[in-house]
Amino acid sequence: MTPPARPPTLLTLLTVGLLTTGLTTPCGAGGADESRRPPKPPRLTVDEASPPLRISFISYANPQQVASDSAAICRYLEPYLGIPVKGFVSTDYGSSIEAMRYEQADLAFVDPLAFMMAYEQIGARPLLLEIYATGKPVYYSCIWVRRDSGITAIEDLAGKTIAFADQVDMSGHLLPRDIFVRAELLGDDQLANEFFKQVYFAGGDEQAVRAVLNGFVDAAGVSEFSYLLLRPEERDQVTVIARSVASPSHLVMARPGLPDDVTARFKQALLALDPNEPQDKAILDKLYGVQGFVEAKFSDFAEVAAIAARFGFVKKPDVFAAEPGQTGP
Amino acid sequence: MTMTMNSQARSRVTRTRSTLLATAVVMGLAGSVPGHVIPPENLHPVAEAYRRATFVLNLNPVVWEQVETDVTAIADHWRNIDPDAAETFEAAAGRIIAAIQGEPGGPTPAPEPPDRREAAAAVFTLLTRAVNAIGQAKLDVARQDLGSREPVRLAMREAQGVFASFDDVLLATDPIAFRAQGQRWLELSSALGTAGLLGRGEVPFQRQRFDRAATAISAYVDANFGTAFEPLPARALAPWPARSPTFDASAVLPAKLPPGSNINKQLPRPRQVLNMATRGVDERETVLIALGDMAFDSTFIFGDPARTVGLSCNTCHNKSMTNPILFVPGVSRRPGGIDVSNSFFAPHANNGHFDPLDIPDLRGIRFTAPYGRNGRFVSLREFVRNVIVNEFNGPEPDPMLLDGLVAYMFEFDFLPNQYLDRNGTLRDEASVAARRGETIFNRPFPGMNGASCADCHVPGANFVDHRRHDLGTVGHAEPYARDGALDTPTLLGITYTSPYFHDGSQPTLRAVNEWFNTSFELGLSPSELDDLTAYVETVGSGIDAYEDTTFTLQAEMEEFSFFLSAYEFMAQRSKTDLLAMTFRTIAFEIRAHRWDLQNWTHMPVLDRLARLMDDAVAALEAGDVQRVRALVGEYRQTYEEHRKLLI
Repeated sequence: MTPPARPPTLLTLLTVGLLTTGLTTPCGAGGADESRRPPKPPRLTVDEASPPLRISFISYANPQQVASDSAAICRYLEPYLGIPVKGFVSTDYGSSIEAMRYEQADLAFVDPLAFMMAYEQIGARPLLLEIYATGKPVYYSCIWVRRDSGITAIEDLAGKTIAFADQVDMSGHLLPRDIFVRAELLGDDQLANEFFKQVYFAGGDEQAVRAVLNGFVDAAGVSEFSYLLLRPEERDQVTVIARSVASPSHLVMARPGLPDDVTARFKQALLALDPNEPQDKAILDKLYGVQGFVEAKFSDFAEVAAIAARFGFVKKPDVFAAEPGQTGP
Repeated sequence: MTMTMNSQARSRVTRTRSTLLATAVVMGLAGSVPGHVIPPENLHPVAEAYRRATFVLNLNPVVWEQVETDVTAIADHWRNIDPDAAETFEAAAGRIIAAIQGEPGGPTPAPEPPDRREAAAAVFTLLTRAVNAIGQAKLDVARQDLGSREPVRLAMREAQGVFASFDDVLLATDPIAFRAQGQRWLELSSALGTAGLLGRGEVPFQRQRFDRAATAISAYVDANFGTAFEPLPARALAPWPARSPTFDASAVLPAKLPPGSNINKQLPRPRQVLNMATRGVDERETVLIALGDMAFDSTFIFGDPARTVGLSCNTCHNKSMTNPILFVPGVSRRPGGIDVSNSFFAPHANNGHFDPLDIPDLRGIRFTAPYGRNGRFVSLREFVRNVIVNEFNGPEPDPMLLDGLVAYMFEFDFLPNQYLDRNGTLRDEASVAARRGETIFNRPFPGMNGASCADCHVPGANFVDHRRHDLGTVGHAEPYARDGALDTPTLLGITYTSPYFHDGSQPTLRAVNEWFNTSFELGLSPSELDDLTAYVETVGSGIDAYEDTTFTLQAEMEEFSFFLSAYEFMAQRSKTDLLAMTFRTIAFEIRAHRWDLQNWTHMPVLDRLARLMDDAVAALEAGDVQRVRALVGEYRQTYEEHRKLLI
């Protein structure tokens, strides 16, 4: 599976609401709390003989850049972990999860859907959620239309065409589809399309939102950030008519069995990153440009697990209502 | 107008924490560039080469070197698929280009217009058919059973990228087919299905659906741009879909610059030194200067196509300084230069030969007459009028507008230079090397008939002599022609305006000095050249040459407010056209800069301000003077209420 478009790193979620529909932003998952940012862990001498910690970094467009960035991240982590840290680049979540299944990866950067499926299948644990520019570890999906289309509500899309990004895509399919399900315009038991004249999968967020811009389709259901993939002079030609529930942000997950002391030191090293400190900011910029991290909780995924379950991607959504240790896959 | 940035540019000031954070939001979102920067179109290399070559082939003269480069790029891409076809194509295009260019090393008289047009059309035909063939081949690959989705997806995306060569013309002239083709591409990507994730969510590949859509895409493109393609007679060279039943032959192609163009401006911006502002004058009381400032930033003083593509005086002379990154293929030879007597921006004033000029710095322009690289205009007013009417195809400007432009430009000061005294002599603070160089600068050279550098670049006269000299840098029209004299440029500010010479042929000041040393047999040693260069660099430097921030919105908004300070003056004189131009310019500029806003939650304020200016134009056209006044008042009030947020 090709990873869906990653939320642009530093966007204010509030922006889209204000710019397009006037919607306000619910808090969703817990926000960043600078007062709770821990200090960096003590620096250790790196035991070169120790087996390395292996981290799978996902590449969305430029594997060479991600490889370069990941090397810097590994260098940052090593003295805090006291063991060698090796990064490698995956271009799809499936590969990351399979690597974790066979203990070729200890940690992986994934999206919520990949995590939930990895939890169910191999018992992966959520460690850290990324914080976007709102200071919140959440994002939304939206229904986009041309501003001059006369379409102002999702009910107006009856008998019209829509493009999603990809079939297996949380922000580019499941979340926006859920908007129609909640409005009882689509059935919730299958990937039914009876409400629309035609449903397309454009292959990515940009292709989908550009299909709206060019008039190939009447609407697109993709990430709230997708309009930023358009050129500045094109962006005002599209607008949002509906927004999904909040989804937890992309995250770092750990393989089962990774020692707790390693995960604890890893988490502390990243949680301590302060975007207001230039040295830390440089590290965050290489970590997909996020503003920081917060600890991930299973309950962060409860709502999107139910959505993913509705479409057959998650089998036991209820387990995400409890925290690790209280239940298992 | 400011639509530029050098992505390498760095802010050189410490900003508040919140500002940095907010800026990072914008920068990160917009791909690390401010919103007013026009990013290049994301085109497949074949589409990029095709569109650029098409643009250049429509020019007079055709810059055949550029066309050759693009032919090669397309041939190289085709070579990976069909080496023989690529070879045949490149050889055929090469023969045409060689024939029209004449013998290598021989005289290159301008070809007869029919010959040029015929050659251009022939190369364009080959290019169009080649693009079709490459796209068809990619689509054929996608239609083969490749065993897995990914190679199919890649081939499909490549085909789509190659066929995008024609998209802008299809959108303008055959929108029905453009949409149908777009939906077929969506059919293709949808038909691919998905392998799912970890065994869940798999959607099978729908072969028949895929083939059906691919066949339809192929048929339309091949019918219009395949082996039967010929350019339309008496029309611009463009991929007109003439065989499409829905082709609108009356449609007009919007003006567009070719791929590889860059009309953005450098960031941080050059520091503009306006004399009256430095003296602390209240800008709201300098109405004519305000009008000139607006006109200098306005694309609406020009005609098409400059207006459509958004050029203004400020595009080339950013904050009065040279824009070193401006480049338009076929019209520029190198960044920072442009042929202003070309057939694209003003066909009627084309001089028919390719003579791009390095964009001059306008700082201190009131001291540097005459104007134009060859000093052909004694009057700045006449020079400016010629730029508007002839170089950029604009309407005859209102006399008040010309007065305003001249008043504004006469405020452009040189950068202050702490190393120079009033007479242009180095102060003691200058480096030892520079002071040694000053001696060389003033030394008479036999190779220059006993003249010194200072004889032309007179230190006591802002380093100009107001004369023209033929130094041999201009290629003559014929042997012994006396058409090579150029105006002596000032050396003030020159450190920031590379490249050098009228055609930008010298990349550094050291290279300039070496050229003089060789051409005039000055006999300077390498260390003397170092000293002379240190001197020229010292003379050419200035205090705070660039703004200390890359964030320009706050300054731009203040400037728009300044534009509007001329409202009452123009309204009292019923200068309706100038008022409309002012309102349009402000609205245009706000929209060009809205993505620079560091906190996008305030964007509705910018949108409201732009709409107020739109409404003012409408009210003006309706003759509703009271409403115009009310709207201007509302703009001022809204801006004042929110000015601290609009940063």
